Amino acid sequence: MLTEYLPIVAMAVLAVAFGVASLVVSRMFRPHRPNPVKLSPYECGNDPVRLPRGERFSVKFYVVAMLFIIFDIEIIFLFPWAVRFRQLGLFGLVEMAFFIGLVFVAYIYVWRAGGLDWATSVEAPADADLASDSPRDPMAAADEELAAAMHDAEVAGAR
Amino acid sequence: MDWVGWAILVVRVAIVFFGLLISVMLYIWMERKVIADMQTRVGPLRAGPRGVLITLADGIKLFFKEGITPTAADHPVYAVAPILAMFPGFLAFCVIPFGTSVTLFGREIPFQLADLNIGILWILAMTSLSVYGVVLAGWSSGSNYPLLGAVRSSAQMISYEVGMGLALVAVLMYSGTLRMSELIAAQDTVWNVIPQFPAFVVFLIGAIAETNRPPFDLAEAESELVAGFHTEYSGIKFAMFYLGEYVSTVTVAAVAVTLFLGGWRGWWPFDGAVAWIGPLLWFVLKITAVIYVLILVRATLPRMRYDRLMNFGWKVLIPFGLVWVMITGVVVVLPQEYGNRGRYIAGAVIVGAAALATLVAPLFSHRPASEAEPGGQPEGREVRA
Repeated sequence: MLTEYLPIVAMAVLAVAFGVASLVVSRMFRPHRPNPVKLSPYECGNDPVRLPRGERFSVKFYVVAMLFIIFDIEIIFLFPWAVRFRQLGLFGLVEMAFFIGLVFVAYIYVWRAGGLDWATSVEAPADADLASDSPRDPMAAADEELAAAMHDAEVAGAR
Repeated sequence: MDWVGWAILVVRVAIVFFGLLISVMLYIWMERKVIADMQTRVGPLRAGPRGVLITLADGIKLFFKEGITPTAADHPVYAVAPILAMFPGFLAFCVIPFGTSVTLFGREIPFQLADLNIGILWILAMTSLSVYGVVLAGWSSGSNYPLLGAVRSSAQMISYEVGMGLALVAVLMYSGTLRMSELIAAQDTVWNVIPQFPAFVVFLIGAIAETNRPPFDLAEAESELVAGFHTEYSGIKFAMFYLGEYVSTVTVAAVAVTLFLGGWRGWWPFDGAVAWIGPLLWFVLKITAVIYVLILVRATLPRMRYDRLMNFGWKVLIPFGLVWVMITGVVVVLPQEYGNRGRYIAGAVIVGAAALATLVAPLFSHRPASEAEPGGQPEGREVRA
């Protein structure tokens, strides 16, 4: 029943209360002497070149997020099967083998299409015969340009 | 529930909460001492006997330090993020059984806050929640390094969560229950770590990445990102992140002990009124052992490069986890359906699958040029994550 969640609720209340209380009590005792330099975003002592509001970052992260959703949903499907799979026996195993096999095909496709390659170096891969049949991802190219621009900006900023 | 029941509930929760705080304190001290030993230093020495109170001293110092809120920060989110980062570890620990039970005032008090029927799912859910603290902290700081660190570490955490989830599925298939107390009962004769050793390794790797510990502490790679998502935090708010990170480490070690190392099971000669001490001691001992391994890993291995980290998570852990789930399924189901003959069929299926995998594997051995060349960076500029 839901009463077994009572200790968890109590723990949540205690943990949050502990956090809030520490923040509040600490605020009463600690010094407060702000100045503009102290409050500026930390950039190793330089004036920040730009602030991240509305800034774009590598599109790879979106790809990872989407892939994560696919695989996490797959795992969520695995859980109920795993709990009951001794009762389901051979039927359940074969069914799940089909399911995992289908997801595996998608996984192999993503792999070959380069969706799992994090850092594609600028020159061509070593065995070009394998790479040639998977056309270069236009998003990856744009991503590289962005990264290069960011790199240049950072180098300029560092000077 | 009468008032005694409520009082017992509150006391139990308080004991677990402060027990966790104290264990974090001792564990940070142990980590600093062990790493100091590895690097032929003495480590903390002054506060308390052999420096054991160093964490308390650090905490008190941080408590009285000025808290800076940068002008560019998003104030409410900036203040909430440390608390969000701290409490999932505590909540996840609620379902861990840390002993048998004790009879007080004529009531049996189990050494487990909540024996949920969805124990493992609860732990997965709570470890996922810890991503929010990291992301919101980095985003709300209004600064470049924290944002980069937060985005990186959230990508890392969700990637390794998949591998960790697959390891849990394998354990679950083997034990056939999500309830933590039944999981420990299922390890009566043999601990899960023996039949499920590969799952144990995958789980430990995933857990290290999930808790942002070295060698997967890319979020805090100080050589590139200063301090990652908590660069802009100081004083008590920084202490919260620190606390949260170590509470999750203790919790993850406790989960590893419960799922793979038999939980509180162990040899104890005494019965009667002191019967509960043994399991508790065993639990603490096993947790200490797992944490010791985590510390050794931290002290030994260098930090991974980000692209290799992501490649390892997606290209090694996930396919390996999937294959291991299928192997577990075949090994458990076939003997159950066909008796002894099933064992031979299971063996044949696995050998056949392994042979097929060896044949197919070369198709996927195409690696980025930078890694194909032995011992050298390529000429071209690497695109950075």
